[in-house]
Amino acid sequence: MASMYSMPSTTPGYSFPSTHPMTASGPRQHAGFYPYTDNGGSTLGISGKDFTIMAGDTRSTSGYNINTRYEPKLFKIGGDGPKNEGATIVLSVVGFAADGHALKERLDTVAKMYKYQHGKPISVAACAQRLSHILYDKRFFPFYVHAILGGLDENGVGALYSYDPVGSYEREQCRAAGAASSLIMPFLDNQVNFKNQYIPGSGEGHALQQRMPEPLPRHEVEEIVQDAFTSAVERHIEVGDGLQMFVITSNGIEEIYKDLKKD
Amino acid sequence: MSSPFSINGGACVAMVGKDCVAIACDLRLGLQALTVSNNFPKIFNYGDVYLGLTGLATDVSTVAETMRYKVNMYRLREERQISPQTMANLVSSSLYERRFGPWFVSPVIAGINHTTGKPFICGFDSIGCIDFAKDFIVSGTASDQLFGTCEGLWEPDLGPEDLFETVSQALLNAVDRDALSGWGAHVYIIEKDKVTKRLLKGRQD
Repeated sequence: MASMYSMPSTTPGYSFPSTHPMTASGPRQHAGFYPYTDNGGSTLGISGKDFTIMAGDTRSTSGYNINTRYEPKLFKIGGDGPKNEGATIVLSVVGFAADGHALKERLDTVAKMYKYQHGKPISVAACAQRLSHILYDKRFFPFYVHAILGGLDENGVGALYSYDPVGSYEREQCRAAGAASSLIMPFLDNQVNFKNQYIPGSGEGHALQQRMPEPLPRHEVEEIVQDAFTSAVERHIEVGDGLQMFVITSNGIEEIYKDLKKD
Repeated sequence: MSSPFSINGGACVAMVGKDCVAIACDLRLGLQALTVSNNFPKIFNYGDVYLGLTGLATDVSTVAETMRYKVNMYRLREERQISPQTMANLVSSSLYERRFGPWFVSPVIAGINHTTGKPFICGFDSIGCIDFAKDFIVSGTASDQLFGTCEGLWEPDLGPEDLFETVSQALLNAVDRDALSGWGAHVYIIEKDKVTKRLLKGRQD
C-alpha cells in the first residue's frame, strides 16, 4: 500500500509500456511528460453521534516549494449555485491537487444531477458508492488522491467514508490521509477509538476489559483535530499555514478556519 | 524495503519527565514480512546509562556488545560509572569511525546524570550525529508514527507514573500502525535512585 502513495521514480504510472521507446535515437524533442505531482498536505475526518468533522491544512507544495498558503482541500458536494449552499456532504481530497479538483467537479455534478432528476438531495451512502465508481472508472490512469467523504446518514448519525486512489472504500469512525497520515492515524486510534486503553482494575491479564469506543462530543473532537494538526505541523514540512474545518450537522455545514505555523 | 534499516523492523522511544526519564522498545525481530522472534529487546544497560538500538539486528547486537566492551574499559580505567553525556560522545565517535561503512543502527540514549541529577536523552543517526532533544527521541521503522503519537501525547514535567503511561501509549499505538514493529514491549522508567522495568504485552499480530 505504501508504494501506491510514493511517486514512481522515472516513468509515469502507466500499466502498459510507455508510448515512446525509451531507447530512441537522435536528439530528444522534449522531456518526458509526467502526469502526476504530489502537492502534499494532510486531511482527516472524524464522525460523531450527530455530526461529522472534516479537516485539512491549506498548504500546497511541490517538492520543497510552497505554491500557496491557502488552497482548500475540502469541498462541499451538491447544494445550490456556485457556492454549494445547503450542501450536506463534504469531500476532502489530498495527493495530486489537479486530480482532486477534477474528482470534486465530477462528484458535484453527479450530486446536482441526482437532485435535478429525483427532486431530493443524494444520501451520503449513495454518494459514497458513486464516488467509488468514479474512482474505479479510471482504474488504469487513476486520480492520484486519497479521498474522504463526510456527511450524515439516513438516521442523522455522522457518516465517514475513506477511499484508496482506485475506489476501494470503507465506512469508518475516523481517518487521516495524506503526507502526515502516518503521524496522525495512530494518535487518532488512541484518542478516538481508545486503542490500547483498558479499564483499570477490571481484570488480570487477558481478562482485562478494553475501553470501548463511544461517540465523542463535538468540542472534544474539535480539540483532537487541532492537536493532530499542530503535532503534524511540528514534524512534517508539507503540512502547515492554515487549518480548515467543516462541521456537518443537521443545521448545515459550519466552516472554521484557524492559522497554523507558516514555517 | 531492502534498506538495511528496515529488514528486521523495530522501534524505540525515549522521553524526559520531571526528575525522571523513560526509554521503551518493541520486541519484534523479523525477516521482512516474516516474524522470526517475539523476544528481541533493543534496550541495553550500561550502569547509569540505557542504550536503545534499532536497525539491522546483527548490527544491533554487535554495537551493543562493542559498547559493553568500551564501557567496561572506561570503568576499569576511570574507576567510576560512565555518565549519559560521556556515553553519548563515546557512541558518536564510535559510529563516526565507521563513516564510510556504517553500522546500520539508529541509537537512542536515556539516563540520569548522577553528578548533576539532571535527566538526559539523545539520539543519533547511523554515522554518529547527535540529536540532543529536550522532549523525546524516536527511532526505528515506526519513527513516523512515534513522532505523531509523542508530539500529540507528551507534555513537560510528567511524573514517573504519568511518564510511564505516556511513553507506553505512544509506543503501543505507534507500533500497531507499523507492520514491522510490535509483538510486546519493554519500558524502563529511570529515577534518581530507582529503575522500574515493565514488560507490556501489546497486540500479538
